[in-house]
Amino acid sequence: MRMTRKGAPVDDHAWAAFEAEALPHADQLFRVAMWFERNRQEAEDLVQDTMTQALQSFHRFQRGTNCRAWLMTILQHIRSNRRRSRFRSPLIEDPDDRIAETIPFVPPLPERLTDEDILGALGRIPPHLQEVIVMCDVEELSYKEIARTLAIPIGTVMSRLHRGRALLRQQLRPAADRRPKEIRGPHAMP
Amino acid sequence: MQCREVRDLFDSYLAQELLTETNHEILRHLSGCPTCRADLAERRALREALQRAFARARDLEPRSEFSAELGVKLRDIVQAPLRRGLYSHWLALAATVVVGVGLAATLWWAHQFMRDRDLAAAAVGDHRNCALHFTLAEKPISLADAAQRYDAAYRILEELPPREILTPSGTARVLERHSCVYAGRRFAHVVLQYHEKVVSLLVTSGEDGASTSVPLDAALHGDVRRIDDMSVLSFRSARHSIFLTGDVDRAELSSLAEVLTGPLTRRLSSSQTHSSPPTFATAYPRLTTAMPNDSQDGMAFTFPGPFWRKSSTALRTKCSKSL
Repeated sequence: MRMTRKGAPVDDHAWAAFEAEALPHADQLFRVAMWFERNRQEAEDLVQDTMTQALQSFHRFQRGTNCRAWLMTILQHIRSNRRRSRFRSPLIEDPDDRIAETIPFVPPLPERLTDEDILGALGRIPPHLQEVIVMCDVEELSYKEIARTLAIPIGTVMSRLHRGRALLRQQLRPAADRRPKEIRGPHAMP
Repeated sequence: MQCREVRDLFDSYLAQELLTETNHEILRHLSGCPTCRADLAERRALREALQRAFARARDLEPRSEFSAELGVKLRDIVQAPLRRGLYSHWLALAATVVVGVGLAATLWWAHQFMRDRDLAAAAVGDHRNCALHFTLAEKPISLADAAQRYDAAYRILEELPPREILTPSGTARVLERHSCVYAGRRFAHVVLQYHEKVVSLLVTSGEDGASTSVPLDAALHGDVRRIDDMSVLSFRSARHSIFLTGDVDRAELSSLAEVLTGPLTRRLSSSQTHSSPPTFATAYPRLTTAMPNDSQDGMAFTFPGPFWRKSSTALRTKCSKSL
């Protein structure tokens, strides 16, 4: 029996289970961390801290549930703690309602878009909407898991998702308009 | 279900968050509504495009060795407490040893302190009952006899200290030299006249189980204490405890000790010859018939049995004469 720094027991069996179940998600966690942090070193630190904390709390993980969602919850928790310590400013009110009013029209999705177009458009929408979109569409977390991860109500998850997608589509229109029809990117949508 | 209602549910539909019944209703609506089908297809395409973009973006790719390094670091984190546990075991063992040794040393020193205190009390008792009140149950014997039977070092006291001892605060004169027993402990006893008071120099062997190779406790050594209204100063040679006691001022006793301690402890320490080591049982004296002749005084005392009281009287007389 081994003890981690916080004292949670990690025996060889638990370590083997963690290695098999949680560790394979490290790369995907890194992608999400990298997306939010925009800094390779910070993303690596974030993932390492996430996995360390996950290892220490692995006895609390319910086998058979979504391990990636569980890891994402830890990652978001660490992120929010870091943000809180980095910017000790009061939280502004949820801007979802204001954003909703600024989306008068959701244009149809352009036919040909590259990965850069999509990620560029995603990067231009507010971060709290990005979070929900990444978790729902990329990580395929359930509303409930997203709500738990971000510590927000499910209703807020749904509204952010709705507004985020609408904004994303709005952002994608100019990108498609700029590109001549005959030019197709390497990862153009079919 | 109207188009607007269906489109409001598309996000949840794609996220598979709806009840089965609601899903069926949407599917039913989609089968007859090409506009909503197109909208849903577009949303699904966007969702899939996002997933692909995320998976393929090189900027978001971890270093190829990242996972392996992370695994090593996590394994280190798991194993570090184990190593720390081993270290802490060793530390705990070392701490236990240190505490044990410290406790043993404390007990030993406490034992020594108690022993020295008991010895000092015995010396004061001997002084009071032998030199002052002459009420010892056992009769004194000569130092020569005691040296022969108990401790050869006692013979040194026949010569040391000399008859007259010059100290910074006055002269001390030897009145009597003998060996006596008080409270089961044998002393070589030199009675001195000092500052018009009777002072005893008492030497006792430290071989009744206690080591004498260790310096006397600092609290005792060189520190004049008062026991039973007597000043006591103790010091130690290699095998003997030495006491100076009397109803004199502390400073006067220290002054006398300064002159006596050096030569006496050196002689006692260098004395290797030793008669059969006395045990507690053998330390009890046999009744003797003679006290040492103090040739320089020209006095001879003989104490066969009943003469003990006589000798005491003589000693008292001698002391008062010299006073």
